[in-house]
Amino acid sequence: MKGYFGEFGGQYVPETLLPALEELETAFNDACADADFQAEFDSYMKDYVGRPSPLTHAKNLSQHFGVDVWLKREDLNHTGSHKINNAIGQILLAKRMNKKRIIAETGAGQHGVATATVCALFGLKCAVYMGTEDIKRQNVNVQRMRQLGAEVVPVSTGTATLKDATSEAIRDWVTNVDNTYYLIGSAVGPHPYPIMVRYFQAIIGKEARAQILEAKGVLPDAVVACVGGGSNAIGIFSGFVDDPVELIGVEAYGTGADKNAASISFGFPGVLHGAMSYLLQDKDGQVLDTHSIAAGLDYPGVGPEHSWLAATGRVLYKPVGDADALSAFSLLTRLEGILPALESSHAIAYLSTYAVDNAGKTIIVNLSGRGDKDLHTVLELGL
Amino acid sequence: MITETIRNSKKAVIPYITAGLPSFEDTGALIRALADAGAPAIEIGIPFSDPMADGPVIQKASKMSLDAGFSLDELFLHLREWCGSVSIPLIVMTYINPLVRRGIEETLIRIKESGVSGVIIPDLPSDPADIFEMSKSIGIDLIRLVAPTTKPERIKDIVEKCTGFVYSVSIKGVTGSREIVPQGLKKQVQLIKSMTDLPVCVGFGVSKKEHIEEILKFADGVIVGSYLVEKLMDTANPVKETNEAFLRLIK
Repeated sequence: MKGYFGEFGGQYVPETLLPALEELETAFNDACADADFQAEFDSYMKDYVGRPSPLTHAKNLSQHFGVDVWLKREDLNHTGSHKINNAIGQILLAKRMNKKRIIAETGAGQHGVATATVCALFGLKCAVYMGTEDIKRQNVNVQRMRQLGAEVVPVSTGTATLKDATSEAIRDWVTNVDNTYYLIGSAVGPHPYPIMVRYFQAIIGKEARAQILEAKGVLPDAVVACVGGGSNAIGIFSGFVDDPVELIGVEAYGTGADKNAASISFGFPGVLHGAMSYLLQDKDGQVLDTHSIAAGLDYPGVGPEHSWLAATGRVLYKPVGDADALSAFSLLTRLEGILPALESSHAIAYLSTYAVDNAGKTIIVNLSGRGDKDLHTVLELGL
Repeated sequence: MITETIRNSKKAVIPYITAGLPSFEDTGALIRALADAGAPAIEIGIPFSDPMADGPVIQKASKMSLDAGFSLDELFLHLREWCGSVSIPLIVMTYINPLVRRGIEETLIRIKESGVSGVIIPDLPSDPADIFEMSKSIGIDLIRLVAPTTKPERIKDIVEKCTGFVYSVSIKGVTGSREIVPQGLKKQVQLIKSMTDLPVCVGFGVSKKEHIEEILKFADGVIVGSYLVEKLMDTANPVKETNEAFLRLIK
């Protein structure tokens, strides 16, 4: 059925939004078939974002773990994360659709910054919904968005994090659907968002595959990425999903079994924000409060395609907790001189598990973002 | 039962209340009071943690009910008693996830067996044919929503897979009181009526007596939610004040 990955995905939205989703799907399909659109996207990727992002051979880290580690450097993109790839793609689409106002949700603030950036670039009005809890822990990004001319709308309902910011963005969209484009930042939401976000993030996987083949002459044994909603992961996985390459998604285990954001590891199929996916919920279907030290992973759902890749067994999803992510943050900073985002630190942390049974193997880690934004959190913990 | 009741009602103003607010006992008392006051049917909202179609009032009400310990099992215990205590149809409004988690079919059966006549699900999948067939064979009405943005072909498809009544959403937006009756509403209701014999009731944003009177000139019924639910919170005597607010709207 249209917009489904197995039982996952679909369009579970208020009736008001269905025509907007249809309009979006048509515009997206037209854009995909338009060589000019693709050329414009590619040119912004090259000259504005600074792509291709390097694939760095992490020699010290490799020596430390006894596996050959390569880092896909999305942290070096303009604005500091992979989020800009999707923001550029969708803003070009919004322009094609003649939308004058852009809204977005943000957790860590990376997607908010990317959206505010492209709105500044194209002269569009921008409102970014952000939980008050995240506003506190990601203040640098809040200031960046404001400097870029975006309105940051604080959301204090629920847990005051990404989930509530997303609900509030959807409410705005239902109300202002005529002139507003909702620029979703992750591979979540109703069809066609998950496939659209994957399409724009697929550049990560395409580049990484070509780069490792050029550097080593062979495919890697494994690719690992952190998964919140899962946009950086789906982007890099899409380059290797048809190859004999082990794919591992790392979910946030927070402080343990009862306080985490590992939707696939601990959730059940459910509907949140317009799609069926694994969802952290109680026995009544009420969505649970989540926790992760990484604001960008602190979300009770996950992309429907990830849910399907988990159900079919193509991708393994493993939980990594706050403490291990923090250690990985320090490790990468000291060994390689690269300060990773706390989200990406979860993927780095998985290397110690991977190394146990895979000595000498080659693994690519998607370094989805840089960690400057997290200094506040890290300093507060006294690291 | 719902279709006939609305057709036979001279002034079909359907109250929406959040279940378990401030307590299950209060919900039961309020259902009886509203029925006595002349409500043709009552919509009982199951609180959900993430009500994306609802505005601030029902968001707050849902949270208060959940914080007070609302559970589906307790709701099922009370539903049968509530249905038995009144002679009007009761309708359950729920987001889809509680149904998904408990199993859509078995939960609809359970709701039906409690005596409930219909369900409203604001976030049905875009093609809910399976759920419509399920509700038909269970014998519970599936009341569908039509929005101001819904295109005629889609309306036609919706009313064919809809029973009870058609819920015409008055505005683009979430639930909650508004100051005016939207301009295109009458045309929307007439368009829906041209495609179905089912009654058409208008909801979202209706909170004033004069709006209700204006809407009832072209629609078969009106649903009032946030205006009443507000009285269920932070008032000294929630049941009495909510019922009085309802009486003021219909007299």
